[in-house]
Amino acid sequence: MRRWLLARSAHALLTLLVSVCVLFFLMRAAPGDPLSRLGGDRPISAAQIRNLRARYGLDQPVTRQFAAFAGGVARGDLGTSIQYSRPVSQLIAERLPATLLLGGTVLLLNFTLGIWLGAWQAIRRGRLADRALEVTSLAFYSVPSFWLAILLATVASIHWHLLPPAGMRDPLLGPDAAWSVRAVDVLRHLVLPALTLSLVSIAATMRYQRAAMIEALGEPFVQTARAKGISERRVLWHHAWRNALFPVITLFGLWLPVLVTGSVFVEAVFAWPGLGGLAASAVGSRDYPLLMGTAVLVSVLVILGGLIADIAYAVLDPRVRQA
Amino acid sequence: MQRTPFLVSVALAALLGCSTRGADGGGAVAGTAVIVVGEQATTPVPVLQSVKGRSADAEVADLLFLRLAQLGPGGRTSGEDGFVPALASSWSRRDSVTLVFELDPRARWQDGVPVTARDVVFTFERARDTTFTPTIAGLLHHIRSVTADGDHRVVIGFDQPYAEQFYDAVFHAPPLPEHLLRGMTQEQMLASEYVKHPVGDGPYRWVRSTPDAITLAAVDSFFLGEPGIQRVVLRVAGDPDARLNLLLTGDADAAAAVVPPEANRDRLAATGAFDLVAVPSTTMGYILFNQRDPAHPARPHPILQDSAVRRALVLALDRASIVRAVFGPDARVPYGPVSPALWIARLTPAPEAQDTAAARALLAGAGWRDTNGDGTLDRGGRPLRLEFIVPSPSKARTQIALQVQEQLRRMGIKLDVMVLEPNVWNTRHNAGQFDLDFASATQDPTPAGLTQSWSCAGGSNVAHYCDPTVDSLMQAAILTRDSAAPIWLAAVRRIERDTPAAFMYAPVGVYAVSKRYASVDIRAESPWIELPHWSVKPGQAIARDRVTAP
Amino acid sequence: MSGAGRLFPVVWRRLPGRIGLLGLALVVLAAVVAPPFLPSPIEQPDIEHADQSPSAAHPMGTDPLSRDVLARVASGGRVSLAVAALAVALSVTLGALVGVAAGYYGGAVDAVMMRLVDGALAIPRLFLLLLLLALWERIPITAFVLIVGATGWFGTSRLVRAEVLRLREADYVQAARALGSGAGRIMFRHLLPNAAGPLLVAATLGVGEVILLEAGLSFLGLGIQPPTPSWGGMIYDAREVLVTAPWASVFPALAITLTVLSVNLIGDALRDALDTRGA
Repeated sequence: MRRWLLARSAHALLTLLVSVCVLFFLMRAAPGDPLSRLGGDRPISAAQIRNLRARYGLDQPVTRQFAAFAGGVARGDLGTSIQYSRPVSQLIAERLPATLLLGGTVLLLNFTLGIWLGAWQAIRRGRLADRALEVTSLAFYSVPSFWLAILLATVASIHWHLLPPAGMRDPLLGPDAAWSVRAVDVLRHLVLPALTLSLVSIAATMRYQRAAMIEALGEPFVQTARAKGISERRVLWHHAWRNALFPVITLFGLWLPVLVTGSVFVEAVFAWPGLGGLAASAVGSRDYPLLMGTAVLVSVLVILGGLIADIAYAVLDPRVRQA
Repeated sequence: MQRTPFLVSVALAALLGCSTRGADGGGAVAGTAVIVVGEQATTPVPVLQSVKGRSADAEVADLLFLRLAQLGPGGRTSGEDGFVPALASSWSRRDSVTLVFELDPRARWQDGVPVTARDVVFTFERARDTTFTPTIAGLLHHIRSVTADGDHRVVIGFDQPYAEQFYDAVFHAPPLPEHLLRGMTQEQMLASEYVKHPVGDGPYRWVRSTPDAITLAAVDSFFLGEPGIQRVVLRVAGDPDARLNLLLTGDADAAAAVVPPEANRDRLAATGAFDLVAVPSTTMGYILFNQRDPAHPARPHPILQDSAVRRALVLALDRASIVRAVFGPDARVPYGPVSPALWIARLTPAPEAQDTAAARALLAGAGWRDTNGDGTLDRGGRPLRLEFIVPSPSKARTQIALQVQEQLRRMGIKLDVMVLEPNVWNTRHNAGQFDLDFASATQDPTPAGLTQSWSCAGGSNVAHYCDPTVDSLMQAAILTRDSAAPIWLAAVRRIERDTPAAFMYAPVGVYAVSKRYASVDIRAESPWIELPHWSVKPGQAIARDRVTAP
Repeated sequence: MSGAGRLFPVVWRRLPGRIGLLGLALVVLAAVVAPPFLPSPIEQPDIEHADQSPSAAHPMGTDPLSRDVLARVASGGRVSLAVAALAVALSVTLGALVGVAAGYYGGAVDAVMMRLVDGALAIPRLFLLLLLLALWERIPITAFVLIVGATGWFGTSRLVRAEVLRLREADYVQAARALGSGAGRIMFRHLLPNAAGPLLVAATLGVGEVILLEAGLSFLGLGIQPPTPSWGGMIYDAREVLVTAPWASVFPALAITLTVLSVNLIGDALRDALDTRGA
């Protein structure tokens, strides 16, 4: 167990190092830097730009910049965002709850509803219900998310007046409003973005689950179980389904990091105050500290996703543990 | 299994039914304005603002803090007549390089401490420090000294006489509270609690902020008159569709940039709740003609050095209809590099209309003919073919670029439009690596900014336009004390005639504002700065207007 | 090629497979054959006729620059289909190879490969592409396909590895090993075909993903240069008029949906075919 933990931590550290290094140096190699679009029609002299570059350490060799960044991360200091003039940790902390709420809801929907629907499709493979679900889910999968988002907001908010069109909460409700009132308010704002993101992505979970379940249903041990006279329901959901969970567990691990940045467009259309938009703007304006801060967060989620997947494999199939 | 849909529908019904709106608070009319803005203000404090000079920060700072004097409705930055008193109740001129301001003794920081001359001195010390805020320090480089004379008198000295001394003294560095920021470095200030809960001396005070909204409340018995709108909520929605949707559902009362697309006018008009207010924009777009050869920057451009060709390119374009198609009827084709928000824009004549015959004649006169019948003009075996770089996220610029390409194609001029990632575009723009370049500028209220792009040594003059006469005219306009307008006009006319660029568009900012407000006034340089003078019309208050101020 | 030749009748024999093949054929034919018979997808006839609803002259209406939407959908298919097919082929191949090698060899090989994959996964793909593509000023289409393909396989390799881990202790693999089969033979004859399920899903879903990704990138100036049409680019271009002139984005979206559906139906049929062969 202790060896396993040690190996795990080493893996985590390596993952973090790989992603942070790649992103750090790629970012420096890409054209433009955080200060290249200053000035415009405002007078700013070359000397002043030199001052600024020195302040953000941009005049240092890249390797020294990396050392400074890595040292900061080790101390828990992610630096100050250049475009927002605020500590990166503050900016991320402000937006993390919104991201986790939206991403968590979508993850939950996809991996409960998606698994269930995919397995159900496999059992009814080739029949009308299977085909209908396939067509519907793939149709949603092949439209851009912002497109569906605008459509849903127009119908549900503007034509039917059912749900708020944007934001995460009613800003007129102060912190003194009752807890339950605020919770309902956030839920109402959550419905449309969560629905949009689930609709455009649930096809993936469904397709992987369906394929795995079809495969599992063809395996010898399912025939054996049937021959033993075990009830069909038990054969399906205990024997076959349990074996069909492997790819979906992997998929779950892969999805965890997508939580943070996978919803840039949907966040935008619904003005959801999450991290996606922040990170995307950091890429565009080459806000090095802010982007690296987000990268560290995403790395942690990747490591967490891998960990959860491994534990789940081990629980499902003891043979894997030796791997 | 069958119960699931039922439970889901019960939960949904509960969720959908629980609207938080519709409840009438029943109290006295306090007035609320929910304004949708494009970006979160993360550092809404003057001088401390990001090096990027984000307008989101400045717009909120303008409600929280006071300038010594405010730019008046005409926006005239030259001289002193265009300004109205704010933090300073009066001012006088001691000599040609010294201004004296008398602070209003009633002015208070929102924690109760009086505003004094020491706050002004403290702020200018930081604003003029090039290591503290290089961008603002650059704007203040003519200011030589700022000193306090007693509690309420500030003396500002300049290194030379020039037209915009007053503008420089009052506009760029609204005072900060010394007693709250004393002894802090810039890094400490940025990470401090003060930035999270700024204390200003303006008509509104800070209540709270989340990444999606900032709430401000009117200052009780504010010394320049209590605002008619007691509560201001700035909701953040970067996406144009989100902004429009918040207006259409009645969740918001005002927003910027609701048009284009033109169809939004009808959608907003259908609600019957909004007035559309057109405000001149501080932004303008132009297609730069490179005067140097991008392959050999020391040599002149083989095609575009000829001003007849440049003029032909402009005359070949139906700029008016292109601009109408992309921005709607309100946008204008600018005359020279003058955005309509500059005060000198009122003096400029109308730009030339399309004249394809004249364009053809100019091109033929310069030796460009289609000798091989391929549809593209050529001269000495070289086709009239140019590379046109356009930054990508601006869809308006991409659309205009494609229409320009089409109209020039009909003239026998081949443009290779390259839509580039903004950082890639910016790198090439700065390095002069282009034939044609779709640039844009957001101008400060002062025409002095024009020297950046259109004087020989200007820091932003990437296309190497150089006319010593224009340079001396602009210098004269900056230095004169009283007759700046005709000199600026002469400089601009000369630029227009030389055609260093096709000045394409000067959009108009279209704001949607709820019809229930009276005395609405939106300013180009800072749209919400006049908000303290708005009020809710009698008898038109809605539920959120009645809630007592937070 | 002979492998593909054998698979075609197998797919055609099944009704969903046949529908898929016909759907894909329709899209490909429209992209290859139709453009010469349609108005120019690039020239703008008259800006006053922008955003017109579908009519006899313009069966799919016109876009904000007065161009014929049908003509743009047809020729947009060239770019979108080519990019999707090539990039997906590349990413699925890479994902399969890395996944099967990591799963089969285990140990240090697995640890190194998977740490690299983890590291790559920790950088959101969109950001990776934004930065990578910005390294070129004008990106040739082959390089574009290479980069999109080379950044799309990380997840696939994990899925394949998970399948291989599960299978490599299976009786028939043990038997093959006992009989002295080489590593290559075991990986390609025994392990990979049995991981075909997730691989086919990854490939078929990847088509839709890449088409939409190209759209997002061309919006940022990193994809296909305008005025050359691509389906995704068309949807982004018509974004402002989504509610007021929906035809400019609905028809390219339908083309993407038809393509994705067809490819998935073919994938299903292929899976079934592989299944019966294995049994």
